[in-house]
Amino acid sequence: MVAETRPQYGASLRTATRIAPTSLDPAAQPDSVAQRNLSRLMFDTLVTMDSRGRVQAALATSWQAAPGNQRWQFWIRRGVKFHDGSPLTPEAVAAALRAANPDWSVLPAVDSVIIERNAPDADLPAQLARGRNAISKRSEGGTLIGTGPFHITDWQPGKKLALAADEGYWGGRPFLDAIEIEMGKPARDQLIALDLGRADVAEVAPEQSHRASTEGRRVVTSAPVELMALVSARARQSPEDGKLREALALSIDRNSIRSVVLQGAGEPSGGILPNWVGGYAFVFITDQNLERARQLRSEVRQPPAWTLGYDAGDPLARVIAERIALNARDAGLTLQTTTASTADLRLVRLTLASLNPQIALAAVASATGLAAPKLSGNSIDELYQAESGMLQTQRLISLFQLPVSYALSPAVKDWSQERDGARHLENVWLGSKP
Amino acid sequence: MTSARHNAVYNLPIAEMLVSSPGLSRSSLPLLVTLCFLLTSISFAADWAAPELELARKIAAATGPGAVALDVTNRSSLNKKDADEISRGLRVQLEALGVRTVKPEQAAATVEVSLSENLQNYAWVAEIHQGAGEFSVVMVATPRQAAAAFVREPAPLTIRKIPLWAQEGRILDVGVLEEGAAGPSHIAVLDPEKVALYKFTEGRWQQEQALPVTQARTWPRDMRGRLVLRQDHLFDVYLPGVFCQSSGSVPLSLICRDSDDPWPLSTQFALSGFFAPTRNFFTGGLSPGVGKQISTAKFYSAAPIQRPTYTFWIFAGVDGQVHLLDGISDQNARLNWGSDLASVKTACGSGWQILSTRQGDNSSDSVRAYEFPDRDPVSVSQTVDFAGGITALWTEAKGGTAVAVSRNAETGNYEAFRLAISCSQ
Repeated sequence: MVAETRPQYGASLRTATRIAPTSLDPAAQPDSVAQRNLSRLMFDTLVTMDSRGRVQAALATSWQAAPGNQRWQFWIRRGVKFHDGSPLTPEAVAAALRAANPDWSVLPAVDSVIIERNAPDADLPAQLARGRNAISKRSEGGTLIGTGPFHITDWQPGKKLALAADEGYWGGRPFLDAIEIEMGKPARDQLIALDLGRADVAEVAPEQSHRASTEGRRVVTSAPVELMALVSARARQSPEDGKLREALALSIDRNSIRSVVLQGAGEPSGGILPNWVGGYAFVFITDQNLERARQLRSEVRQPPAWTLGYDAGDPLARVIAERIALNARDAGLTLQTTTASTADLRLVRLTLASLNPQIALAAVASATGLAAPKLSGNSIDELYQAESGMLQTQRLISLFQLPVSYALSPAVKDWSQERDGARHLENVWLGSKP
Repeated sequence: MTSARHNAVYNLPIAEMLVSSPGLSRSSLPLLVTLCFLLTSISFAADWAAPELELARKIAAATGPGAVALDVTNRSSLNKKDADEISRGLRVQLEALGVRTVKPEQAAATVEVSLSENLQNYAWVAEIHQGAGEFSVVMVATPRQAAAAFVREPAPLTIRKIPLWAQEGRILDVGVLEEGAAGPSHIAVLDPEKVALYKFTEGRWQQEQALPVTQARTWPRDMRGRLVLRQDHLFDVYLPGVFCQSSGSVPLSLICRDSDDPWPLSTQFALSGFFAPTRNFFTGGLSPGVGKQISTAKFYSAAPIQRPTYTFWIFAGVDGQVHLLDGISDQNARLNWGSDLASVKTACGSGWQILSTRQGDNSSDSVRAYEFPDRDPVSVSQTVDFAGGITALWTEAKGGTAVAVSRNAETGNYEAFRLAISCSQ
């Protein structure tokens, strides 16, 4: 029997991830929950967002906007050091932010940085909480370094990352001594490693989470944070094209796909933001309506055959793409699935970019080739109108909102995870197994 | 420490701006939390009138006067009572605006209202279906209330749990400076940044003074600290690698310095333990020692038990073992205990009890009292439960009670309680 109420320092956590980045530069990474979780081990942002979407101090202790919200000043926490021992300076912060945001004017001041945008930006603090705006710099040896809770001890791009606790971390030294992360490892292999006692934490694919749980594993799941959607390569070409797109959207049996393919994971989605962020997602239609789909299809004389592309490395995407093609055929539409990089439609996964709904919507617009939504305020009406407007372009057909899940060994204690899947391994410790 | 200018934090205009509101100082936040904490037996009814009226106006603008079928569905964390109240209120507001609610077959339009929520607000969404397939959506948002901070224990237990203080930030220790007839009337609250003194006057807690802990260290995670009341001055503060001493007269000041001085392990006996300055445990070094024993294994907490002819000490070891030192031998015991122990000297039972947290995760915690008739503990109380993991458990200055701090797993607030043993069952 071990007294375990109070956290224990020490031990090395073994984990793996499906992604296989070849660079750790936070500004150069595709946005995903796995990537963010990797990045925040080594790098800090000026501010963070708490579980209710409120901005909280991190490397910046305070901030203030000039009237008009175009010019912002962020005061930098004193005494913070990069992993090579050099101090965090306003100059280093400004350089990192300029590199990540070439269109921003970022100037260092005595103990702060001043950011000027070319238009009012009330959401700038929330922007700075995004992983891509984490503060990093190159050490004299050219290595990328940050101020995060762990520093790099071994980095084999795309294969392995070994980290050690930073003894002087400004937020308090992590409980763990080290973390070993194997990269490019499929979720199924990660579960096997967990079962064999070779890993402490494993990523669990959405379609595996129910089974992983019923088989007695300890599984933790986030709120839905990943939008799976069909994105058209082109804007709507004609009213007939619009009818076919609507027919496709109505032909998809999301409930059946969720039940069979996703094994009950996630939520059918007709909108862009998950309900826990927007609050109105149920307004958007998700039910299949084959009758209406066929009617719309019949109103177009010679519908083209579309190609539906998906990521060849994503087995879930392949199965869902095939199910969508079958549903479309029931409505009289022809969809040819392909792994080619060019396709009329692509099945994509879009990670919720921020707990700030305005930023999250803008990120989806940017990723799908839509115009940025114009929002002059923060009212729920405006948000809904902006989201509706994006959907009305018919460039995007929403399918599912998916969560992220992890399976944990019994030794993992005080697992700390935000609703958006952000995990805080600096708070985790390893105890004895029961 | 941040300057006054640095405290001018800007945040988005969101519902809960207590920390960043310029009109409300940081120092008043704990007070508010505490007032909520102490007064939660009073239930405040939410006022839904404004959002009800706003939504009714938007619905009426869409439907015009006439008869509608209204259906309200609760998709939020609102309880049934509130949802029913909102549904009734909405109907009243609609009637006042000339929109009668009728059965679907008599209605010119159907209105499906969903009581939903997002991160910060309740979102009430009305989907309006009118003739000829006309469909519109209107909605309003109203801030969500914070969850109740504290639920009072329904019945007295053997261990009485008396609320002392609550705040958002970590509480390391609480010292009771003065007692009134109704309980503590003057307290000192130690957190990682300061010692705050509060006095209960005119029916509420008021902050007297906040004494900053001036030091340049980075505190360890799971930080611990001890506030020890003194007779020649008000108190000493022991923090990882830092020692602070208050002045003896008003206005108080607090002088801190780097220090590896051992921390007192008891208010009754002169045994101290060296604390690891970058960790959350004692190194095992003891001063002056238990008899001839001047060290034990690394430990989280220690508690003495007095016997007629000697005193033995119990240490909750980092190695998971409980170590019993009597001056001669160091015995290990395998007990299902947590890592925090405190002893109290009472008029109950054998006169000495050990309060121990339980083993387990931090989603909840509990404390139970034990006695040691010989070398094996015997449970002498029921457990007293906490809504989150216990982060501190220290014997109070007079030795008869202990202070327990837990982090409420639901609210995230730190809550300090006095634990007192009651002889009556």
